Amino acid sequence: MSSNMDSNPGRGVAGASDDSLQAEHEKLLGKQPDEKGHYRLLPLNLLFLLSAFIMFSGTYLGRFSGYFHPKVYNEYGLPPKPGADSAAAAVDPIALGKNVYAQVCAACHQPNGAGLPPAFPPLAGSEWVSGSEDRLIRILLHGLQGPIKVNGVDYVGVMPAVGPGSGYNLNPEKVAAALTYIRKEWAGIDTPVSAAKVAEIRGKDGTRQPVTVAELEKLP
Amino acid sequence: MITSTIQPPPSDGDMVGLHARGPLLTAFGLAIGWLVASGVFSLIAAIQLHSAAFLADCEYLTHGRVRALAETSFVYGWAGGAGISAVVLILSRLGGNPLRAANWFGAGSVFWNLGIAAGLVGIATGDMTSFSLLQLPRYVQPLMVFASAAMGIAGLLAWSGRRRDGTFASHWYGVAGLVLLPWALTAAQVSLLWFPMRGVLQAVAAAWYTEAVIFLWLTPLSLACACYLAAKLVGRALPSYEAAPLAFWMLIVVGTWSAGRHLVGGPVPAWIPTMAVFSFSMLLYHFAVVGLNLRPVFGLSGSVGSALKFGVGSYLLYGAVAFLACFRGIALRTQFTHFASATEQLFLYGSVSMILFAALYFLVPQLLGRGWSSPALMSGHLAGATIGVVLSVVALGWAGISQGAVMLEPKTGFGEIASGVRPYLLVNTGAQLVLLASNLLLAVNFLRSLCSCCQGSGVSTALSEGSAS
Repeated sequence: MSSNMDSNPGRGVAGASDDSLQAEHEKLLGKQPDEKGHYRLLPLNLLFLLSAFIMFSGTYLGRFSGYFHPKVYNEYGLPPKPGADSAAAAVDPIALGKNVYAQVCAACHQPNGAGLPPAFPPLAGSEWVSGSEDRLIRILLHGLQGPIKVNGVDYVGVMPAVGPGSGYNLNPEKVAAALTYIRKEWAGIDTPVSAAKVAEIRGKDGTRQPVTVAELEKLP
Repeated sequence: MITSTIQPPPSDGDMVGLHARGPLLTAFGLAIGWLVASGVFSLIAAIQLHSAAFLADCEYLTHGRVRALAETSFVYGWAGGAGISAVVLILSRLGGNPLRAANWFGAGSVFWNLGIAAGLVGIATGDMTSFSLLQLPRYVQPLMVFASAAMGIAGLLAWSGRRRDGTFASHWYGVAGLVLLPWALTAAQVSLLWFPMRGVLQAVAAAWYTEAVIFLWLTPLSLACACYLAAKLVGRALPSYEAAPLAFWMLIVVGTWSAGRHLVGGPVPAWIPTMAVFSFSMLLYHFAVVGLNLRPVFGLSGSVGSALKFGVGSYLLYGAVAFLACFRGIALRTQFTHFASATEQLFLYGSVSMILFAALYFLVPQLLGRGWSSPALMSGHLAGATIGVVLSVVALGWAGISQGAVMLEPKTGFGEIASGVRPYLLVNTGAQLVLLASNLLLAVNFLRSLCSCCQGSGVSTALSEGSAS
């Protein structure tokens, strides 16, 4: 190629004008006046190539589609069976309760349940914890106001409500789990507190002022 | 070769019309400016990869920002600016009429470049978005849509007002590239920036936009140039041309379905990465036909021919490498490594840029009416760019493969992995330096050609030389 061509390549090859270039390619696509709009067929070898790609990609898609299910993340995975979700969602109440206790209760009652006199009574060894389930549920749902005697010591403080609608807004399941954990840990009671019972008491009492010891003692 | 047409073909020189030379040359010049700027940012980013303290105290040039600056100025400033301008010019030449709506093109180009400038300032001061290839701050994004649409209007008018009834491959690719960017940019910014979709959908939309930039914008623009240049330089019709329409539609329809290849192993349903393999193996047909159509360029010599050869070859290689990297077993080793940067570099620099270089060297003399001022600078630039691209792609690719292998071993510490790839990253820094230097040659050559054109009687030379050819 001459040096002149190299410095001004814009001229291209002599004869390859824009118009003749297009005319020649239009001829190839079969748009000639005498052809009446017939389409040129794809050359056979390209047709085979295209078919091979279609077959490969179709097979691959069919094999690894994960059934086009929105919850299948693994190409070998199967779609979950209906109803499998609820079984998988069962949570250990002790683990949940420990979690809730650490987040909500431990600031005052301390992680080891010893409390902080004179405002925050202990849970460990407390006759209230080993006592009535109904009273405990109400303390958590509504909070507690006024003096309370625990293990023979008087405590004066305010326990905030933690149940639904309170500042903490724990649902009945979490309230029940926290109580289950507290009773198991510091009173050795294995019977879990049921979320249904918490929800029932909450439904019966509604939102109300914090309870007092006098009120609690009327309960069984 | 058919020459019997109704009207005698107008000579090459006056086809664009003198009124369009200013805006087009300005757009090319600004694009070259962004190319040099992005070279500086890429060099800083490359140095920071092995010497982390470099410019780390400068808030505006921390690694994340400087990478975004490099990517944005390269993709939107250089590749977008030069690609749109080259395609508008090619469409106007194929149309056989002087460029209409040249003032739309000029205004669009001014706002496009202002938008990029404002966007880069925004990125440097911390307003960038978190989406790759969409990093321009939210406030310049609508401007980019309108500016790209305004530039595209000139190309669309040249297409719709063409003298011949039929169309050429450059028409399809060019018009697609001009039309699809404003649409894709609108869709992406509405769904990611203005009314962000939530959760996993956001990642899917961002991956889709990345694919749209690659397969609906930059690929059509560069293939429009490549088909035109191939036909002009070889002087014969493209072989296997009858398969070209299907290859074009394959790219447009199937191209963005491969978005899932960026999400392999991510928290997306399994069918999305599988769909990427599906659509990329359909795209192989596109790549095969492009290879068949453009195979005469591999017989070309000369600077422009070599650049075109390299660009088309890189495009085909990119198709093969990206196809393999779609598969989960391979993506496991290549994803999130330097290998991903290497494939991006292969596409953006090796393919798009090299084809655009060839287009610039071919088209600018027609606007100037005379050749480039220095053939030596031209071949120096192309040689430097070739060496730089090969070095950086090989170094980063190798780094990525070795990095990917050791990252799968839980016992190997991160520091060990980082020091293992250090030699490759040093080579990459060298490559970025070579690229920056060679692009400076392009800028100097462009300015010199522009000046020598203005000093001489540019207008008369343009017409006389044009009609002489």
